[in-house]
Amino acid sequence: MKFSEKEIRIFNGISLVAGIFTVVIAITMVLSLVQLKTIDPLANPAIQIVKEQFDRDVNNKDLAEQVRAMDLMARKAYFSSRWQVETGSYLLLAGALVFVVLQRLVAGSEKPAKSFRPDKPDIDADRVKNRRFLLISAGAVTLLAVISSFVLRSELPSPGSSEAKSDSAGKKVATSGINMPDEVNYPFFRGEGSSGISAGEGFPVEWDGQEGRNIKWKIANPKPGQSSPVIWGDKLFITGAGDGEIAVYCIDKNTGELLWKGSGKDFPEASSEEPESDAEAGMAVPTPALNEDYVFAMFGNGNLVCYDHDGKFQWGKHLGVPQSSYGYSASLVIYEKLLLVQYDSQDKLSLSGFDLKSGEMKWETPRPGRPVNSSPVLASFNGVPQLIVNGNPGVSAYDPVNGKELWTLPGVSGDVAASAAVNSSLVYVVADYFKLVALKPGKTGSAAWEDNSFTADVSSPVANDNFLFMTTGNGDAVCYNAQTGDTLWTTYFDNPFYASPVICDNKLWMLDRSGIMYIAEAEGKLKIISKSPVGEHTDASPAFSEGKIYIRGKQNLYCISSK
Amino acid sequence: MKKFSRYAPYIILLIMFIGHTVLYAQPQRFPRPEFEGGYTFPTHQFLYQRGPLWEYMDVAVLVIALLATAWMVIKKRSRQGLVWISVFSLAYFGFYRQGCICAIGSVQNLSLALFNETYAIPVSALLFFSIPLIAALLFGRVFCAGVCPLGAIQELTGFRQLRIPRQVEAVLSAIPFVYLGLAVLFAATESQFIICRYDPFVGFFRIDAPYTMVIFGSLLLIVGIFVNRPYCRYLCPYGVLQNIFSRFSVKHMTITPAECRNCRLCESGCPYDAILQSDPDAETERPARSWKESAIYLSVIPVIAIGLAVLLYNISPSLAVVNDNVKLAREIRLEKNEGIKAVSKNAVAFYESGKTEDELFAEEQKITGRFRKGAPWVGLFLGLSLGIGLFRLTARSVRKDYEPDRGRCYSCAKCMKFCPVKINN
Repeated sequence: MKFSEKEIRIFNGISLVAGIFTVVIAITMVLSLVQLKTIDPLANPAIQIVKEQFDRDVNNKDLAEQVRAMDLMARKAYFSSRWQVETGSYLLLAGALVFVVLQRLVAGSEKPAKSFRPDKPDIDADRVKNRRFLLISAGAVTLLAVISSFVLRSELPSPGSSEAKSDSAGKKVATSGINMPDEVNYPFFRGEGSSGISAGEGFPVEWDGQEGRNIKWKIANPKPGQSSPVIWGDKLFITGAGDGEIAVYCIDKNTGELLWKGSGKDFPEASSEEPESDAEAGMAVPTPALNEDYVFAMFGNGNLVCYDHDGKFQWGKHLGVPQSSYGYSASLVIYEKLLLVQYDSQDKLSLSGFDLKSGEMKWETPRPGRPVNSSPVLASFNGVPQLIVNGNPGVSAYDPVNGKELWTLPGVSGDVAASAAVNSSLVYVVADYFKLVALKPGKTGSAAWEDNSFTADVSSPVANDNFLFMTTGNGDAVCYNAQTGDTLWTTYFDNPFYASPVICDNKLWMLDRSGIMYIAEAEGKLKIISKSPVGEHTDASPAFSEGKIYIRGKQNLYCISSK
Repeated sequence: MKKFSRYAPYIILLIMFIGHTVLYAQPQRFPRPEFEGGYTFPTHQFLYQRGPLWEYMDVAVLVIALLATAWMVIKKRSRQGLVWISVFSLAYFGFYRQGCICAIGSVQNLSLALFNETYAIPVSALLFFSIPLIAALLFGRVFCAGVCPLGAIQELTGFRQLRIPRQVEAVLSAIPFVYLGLAVLFAATESQFIICRYDPFVGFFRIDAPYTMVIFGSLLLIVGIFVNRPYCRYLCPYGVLQNIFSRFSVKHMTITPAECRNCRLCESGCPYDAILQSDPDAETERPARSWKESAIYLSVIPVIAIGLAVLLYNISPSLAVVNDNVKLAREIRLEKNEGIKAVSKNAVAFYESGKTEDELFAEEQKITGRFRKGAPWVGLFLGLSLGIGLFRLTARSVRKDYEPDRGRCYSCAKCMKFCPVKINN
């Protein structure tokens, strides 16, 4: 097929028109799409006005009819626009097709590229240029990498939140976000975050302290105390007080050997006073807190000390002698670079953040209400880290970085001794002879459910997303549906509980005051796996690390292991 | 008659396209009825999956088309034959199979399967991914030449040749590498199948693509009339793999059937600037100096690779936003921290789903962590590609003939027509 000059001119003309048509349609469609994306047909101000009028006069049938008519019109307009865009796409295709076909006819056959390179390029010159370009590229990429490392560093997720960590924590138990239990370290009262949930597996379920069965070592407590053991690496720490001594003791967790002792009162401003307290309590009730560098211990007379892991004194503070009916008992927790201290005294209630290294008080937040014996708990809700205090009468959450109050909700009152339990969505607080309350956290939070059939006394409840477990001062153990509050099982043991239950290795570990550990499946159906005694009175909560369980009895400290 | 036969493929294509459009546009005339009696529409609104036999039929057609293309390019040296194969591929893989399954998109299936144990890649997808690469190892980019429907539609509509400056070409040619890297990363992190989502021509094949893609496809087609195969050259991620594999091809097409006369006619016949010039008179450098310099430039490759790995690692949290859950989590967090209300459809659905925010944030962290793991590898790949590509340009290679650049040549056989050397069979 050979076309005359005239025919080719006509083809060119039609092709040009088709091309312009296609471009115009494309632009129109883009604009229509923007309109469709941005306009909400039912948010038309005219419709809104009529709707508001109708809301004020709901019996007006004319207005109702007008709303319907305008609504229909808006919908029709919207769907007409959609239809136009759909039709436009076919017109666009048709235009493009006509343009392509006519251009093909005009082209006749494939022609060589118009821009034939007149001169053969100088390969050597090109090569020199390319070498320079290679070096410039390497420099530019390196520079970009360095700049981005500084500029974008803050956007990188912290190593703790990466998948790598959560993956490697196949053995870990997810709780409320910031509380990631550790198989080795058990840094606070009730473990990481004070959550009562521990990682690890392979713990012995049967032992006998009297017979020595599965008892790896047993040593006499250096001094009496109710604080629980905490662990970092191979070192275990407890506090004790007696015979004029108050101290933190570092013990080799593998052998039971006492490595060093750090006094709780050998610093200039230290108090030597021994305030009155319940006979069972004493000066060493608060459990120390640990990080990789330091151990912090608080005593019943308000002395707060910091030692490094080798026993070198770092700093000491005296926070004032707390006046408390039962004795000062709030355990310490650490969040990032701050040591968080809940101070409860008849004359002062506060929450303070101390710099870990220097001991400088970074902030102090007064707390309302009456003194309690609970300990603070770290949690994270909606990605916001918060320190939960089971106060009296309100439960409060504070920003652990600056101490600002995030929210307060009505909680429990009376003798508040148990710490809060948390999971990913709720906070649970309890006071003996009062009630157990599950709270939806937040400024607009409220009670999700509550129950007063069972109430814990000293022992704190523990929760995961499915279950809430609680042991009471009467010897009861209860399991609730954590979300609905349904009682799933209850049982009664012979002795009361002071130690807090722990969820670990899919088991619930409940240590009663007679020294018997009841081990049950951490499930909604009661299944007792075993009961194992250490053979002496126990009030402190157990610690779990690397397949071993550490229990502080009234007289002795036990390491329980089957290996 | 001879002239008519030249246009015959285009006429058939036009009829086919119009017929296809009319056929698939039919449902548009009769909108779905709106029942008021509680009738629920069936949930299956998409193409029904074909039986396994038909999937293997597609694989068989693919193999036959590849062999036919190789025979046409290497043995017959027939451009017209290639045009016919392109028409067939466009008809079968494009309009009949509606662009699915395609080798280009199968890259994502493979990535997803490699990094997610829960996803089992269909055998046909694996074959569609691997067979064209095997063909590239044997015969060069014969898949691009006439079998890929995306390549075919551009090949058939690219009949004017406008050469663009080499520097611009070099910069634009880097885009497919980035596109491939991101496509693999996004698929491996279960975020998006961007190759399918932004396929410019699948809208023509299915007549149901988003309008934006119809616009993009139409404009690409028009641009392609002058700047031939714009998608293949500046976007196609599978082309990157074809490029790499083809460099090692056992039997690649040649421009001249016999001895090259260095007439440069073929150079002007290639719209893709994919012909390596001869330089028989080039003086070789002193070997010792040459080796020393090469070693220096070679050492720059790991610098670029590590630099890009670090860069991608640093921007990985920003890349993670392509994942819907990450985007949603950031929207919700913005609402919590800044008070900016989350109004997106995803946010509304999330609030109605009963899923907790902590679950969402945990998911966000998980996905961001995966991006953090994967992004440096993408950076390493891009850095190595860029470094090796640049290094090759610094090295001297003495050629006596004009040869196709095996990586970039689409085996379209256009250059053959311009070669004055002919042999009579």
